[in-house]
Amino acid sequence: MADPNTKFLVVDDFSTMRRIVRNLLKELGYSNVEEAEDGVDGLAKLRAGNFDFVVSDWNMPNMDGLTMLQQIRADAALSRLPVLMVTAEAKKENIIAAAQAGANGYVVKPFTAATLDEKLSKIFEKLEKAGA
Amino acid sequence: MNPAIEEQLATNLYYDRTFDCEAAKILPGEYYFTNRPMLIVTVLGSCVAACIRDRISGVGGMNHFMLPDGGDASNPMSVSMRYGAYAMEVLINQLLKAGARRDNLEAKVFGGGNVLRGFTSMNVGERNARFVLDFLRSENIRVVAEDLNDVHPRKVYFFPQTGKVLVKKLKQLNNYTLVKREQDYASRLKSNEVSGEIDLF
Repeated sequence: MADPNTKFLVVDDFSTMRRIVRNLLKELGYSNVEEAEDGVDGLAKLRAGNFDFVVSDWNMPNMDGLTMLQQIRADAALSRLPVLMVTAEAKKENIIAAAQAGANGYVVKPFTAATLDEKLSKIFEKLEKAGA
Repeated sequence: MNPAIEEQLATNLYYDRTFDCEAAKILPGEYYFTNRPMLIVTVLGSCVAACIRDRISGVGGMNHFMLPDGGDASNPMSVSMRYGAYAMEVLINQLLKAGARRDNLEAKVFGGGNVLRGFTSMNVGERNARFVLDFLRSENIRVVAEDLNDVHPRKVYFFPQTGKVLVKKLKQLNNYTLVKREQDYASRLKSNEVSGEIDLF
């Protein structure tokens, strides 16, 4: 497990999904979690606060998760932020588009706590290696 | 490993002579949506169906699902809640992609009959019905009509463009197909992992 104070932003237009992800993160030991309801709200929160990790849905009104990811990568202050996509979009082209836009991982709903844990540890592991 | 559970777009389309329009029939685990003057039909036992539409544009659709066994559906850590939320999200995402606006969405919900009584001590139907109402309330989607619980299966006809719904209570089942279909679906939910699997990164 990474630092338990790691600050997460969960971006999803369904409050039910935000609640599920927040609770799963808590179960994994991360309780420093904030929420945003779409890409616009997400970007504003990311620019205002020092977040360490983004977990984002794809389909959202106003700005979708892919566009938000592209904007994160294009913003010098945020470009290195790890982003895990958690979405109901299981098509290959979606996954490829997310990878090309620079997603650090991709989880298809409905997922288990174990899947989320595995993807998070994988991402943290890679970040650590890259930082060392 | 078993394939992951995934909600499927209904493929059973036909021309309905009674209502003189195109129709889609959906089975457990399926959904359908349209912006055309169509009819969406399903038969529900203990499963629930949410008929959701944009009340301005008329884009609408229906899903048909039940919660897998797996704890308290009001607990965000449970398999039930994750699967139920997923089944609802898949339909709503498609509606939004088809041009519906979230603020305009309204829902009519049906099913959750206690039709499998005798097979299980738990009232599966009631659990499904409660979940769908809780979900819609927490997502601020207005429920404008409901016909839930009771002991009879229902046949539901939904006309997305107008929002009209006809419900026929099936007091007598001519055969065992409905119960069998729901049991197959329930065991599919049980034996397949409720989890998507992607390993590209």
